[in-house]
Amino acid sequence: MLYLQLRGELWKLFGKKRTYIGFTIILLTQLVVTVWFKYTRASPAMGRILEGNGYVADQFLSGLTVAIVMLIPIAYVLLPLYVALIGGDMVAKEVEDGTLRMILSRPISRMRLLLVKWLAGAVFAVLLVAALAGFGVLFGHLFFRFGSLFVFIPGELFSVFSPADGWRHYGLSNILLIANAISMMGVGFMFSCFNVKPAAATILALSFYFVNFVLQQIPYFRDYQHFFFTHHLNLWHLMFDQPIPWWKVGQSLSVLVGFNVSFLVIGCAVFHARDIKS
Amino acid sequence: MIDLSNVTKRFGPRLALDAFSLSVPERAIYGLLGHNGAGKSTAIGILLGQVWPTAGDVRVCGFDVTRDRRHALAQVGAIFEAPAFYDYLSGRRNLEILAGYTASVSPKRIAEVIEWVGLTGRETSAVKTYSHGMRARLALAQAMLPNPRLLILDEPGDGLDPEGIHEMRATVVRLNRELGLTILFSSHLLTEVEQICTDIAVLHSGRKVFDGRVADTKNSRRMVRLRVGNFDAAVKDLREKGLITGFAGSDSVELADNIDTPEVVKRLVDLGMPVFEVTPVRQTLEEFYLELMNAGRTAKN
Repeated sequence: MLYLQLRGELWKLFGKKRTYIGFTIILLTQLVVTVWFKYTRASPAMGRILEGNGYVADQFLSGLTVAIVMLIPIAYVLLPLYVALIGGDMVAKEVEDGTLRMILSRPISRMRLLLVKWLAGAVFAVLLVAALAGFGVLFGHLFFRFGSLFVFIPGELFSVFSPADGWRHYGLSNILLIANAISMMGVGFMFSCFNVKPAAATILALSFYFVNFVLQQIPYFRDYQHFFFTHHLNLWHLMFDQPIPWWKVGQSLSVLVGFNVSFLVIGCAVFHARDIKS
Repeated sequence: MIDLSNVTKRFGPRLALDAFSLSVPERAIYGLLGHNGAGKSTAIGILLGQVWPTAGDVRVCGFDVTRDRRHALAQVGAIFEAPAFYDYLSGRRNLEILAGYTASVSPKRIAEVIEWVGLTGRETSAVKTYSHGMRARLALAQAMLPNPRLLILDEPGDGLDPEGIHEMRATVVRLNRELGLTILFSSHLLTEVEQICTDIAVLHSGRKVFDGRVADTKNSRRMVRLRVGNFDAAVKDLREKGLITGFAGSDSVELADNIDTPEVVKRLVDLGMPVFEVTPVRQTLEEFYLELMNAGRTAKN
């Protein structure tokens, strides 16, 4: 039964065009970033940073490095936006369209319905990150050669990896990016369970994200970073630290699991108490 | 099949249902009547576990809906308010998705139901290409999927053209007669209810004002059409003798309890009044309903 219900949710999700907006915009962004990196002064500038630190720039200006360059803005802005959009739609859109009344005329508990919907949202998040990771390296290698990996986030990260290590770290960071995507989807999903329009659920989720993000940037709150949701969403950065701080990864993953369970419990409690009526 | 006992529902300060009780026996076609906002949809929402009652017990197929929704609705098919579908998917895919929330349904059963409602040949088209009538038939198909014992239909003919309404009515009767389904049916169309329902309950501002057999509504007031030489004189005399309780218009009287037409005729003949016509008048459901509504308004005022 769970399989049938999940299959139904995925048919619904992937049957509508708006589900593909995220995929399309992210792929277009990746292409634009790659072309911009190739044909502007961005790549020589990165080369100078590398050479200034004693590395051979040519070796590190690779498809893999460009895949990370394009991953950073997408992971901070576009990915949260599109997963929150899908999460925000999951319940509220069905209430708005009236299809939820059809579903709830059937002998399925509200709790189970929400769990199935959450799982479908999680599948979407996994597929979006997989597309992001796959097309990132594809576009990167269409314009740049195979080579070593250089990751640079000003003030945060400066790491270099051999090609083999680079692939491994790139893969691991994308796996952890799934936790980021699922968590943002979960925020949208929680608000979707409230008596609000789908757009409002998405806006509330993004507001929650940006408020966390802004507070996290304020110097006064530096000491309280670990209390912020967005701090733990960035756990994929940790895969580029040398050595990988696995205890920090475990800590952030545990906190994200806690956040996700809390979001789901709040969403379920609110949805369970609601009267479903036009 | 359905047992509502003193069900009350409040939406904030508004009382949507006030101590509503209803008992629907097996194989009945039960009509739920009432004006907009009378509480029909709230009652159906409560039956389907979509609206939580503020007080009272709700049992469907022997199970408490608020506590054991899964068992209560296992053999229920429903169309609640305007049927809505995933327009971008085909009719068949919609049925497969909705069936998945009840139990595993074989492709054969889906094909059977599609054929039963007359959508064969269009089941693979996107629902957005369906006419209003086809959507109504698809709604009925989804309600039929779990082989229900009880069908709950909330204004199923709403928005249909006269042909569609006739078709829907015929289908409901067929489902009751051929498959033995119990049907709870809410509608604004009194002629429709009169034609197909065995029993009705009438709601007014959240309160039940009538509950009984449709046949009883036709005999609730024993009216007689009376064409005599002097109607006013006849009414005055018959009233004085306690044979009638009132009159309507210039040619109808309402018989008193335990009085039959021959006694009225005998009195008129004794008076020497020429009698041209004495015909018992059967009250229509519409007349009965309007009377109830007027009584309800008067009581409220």
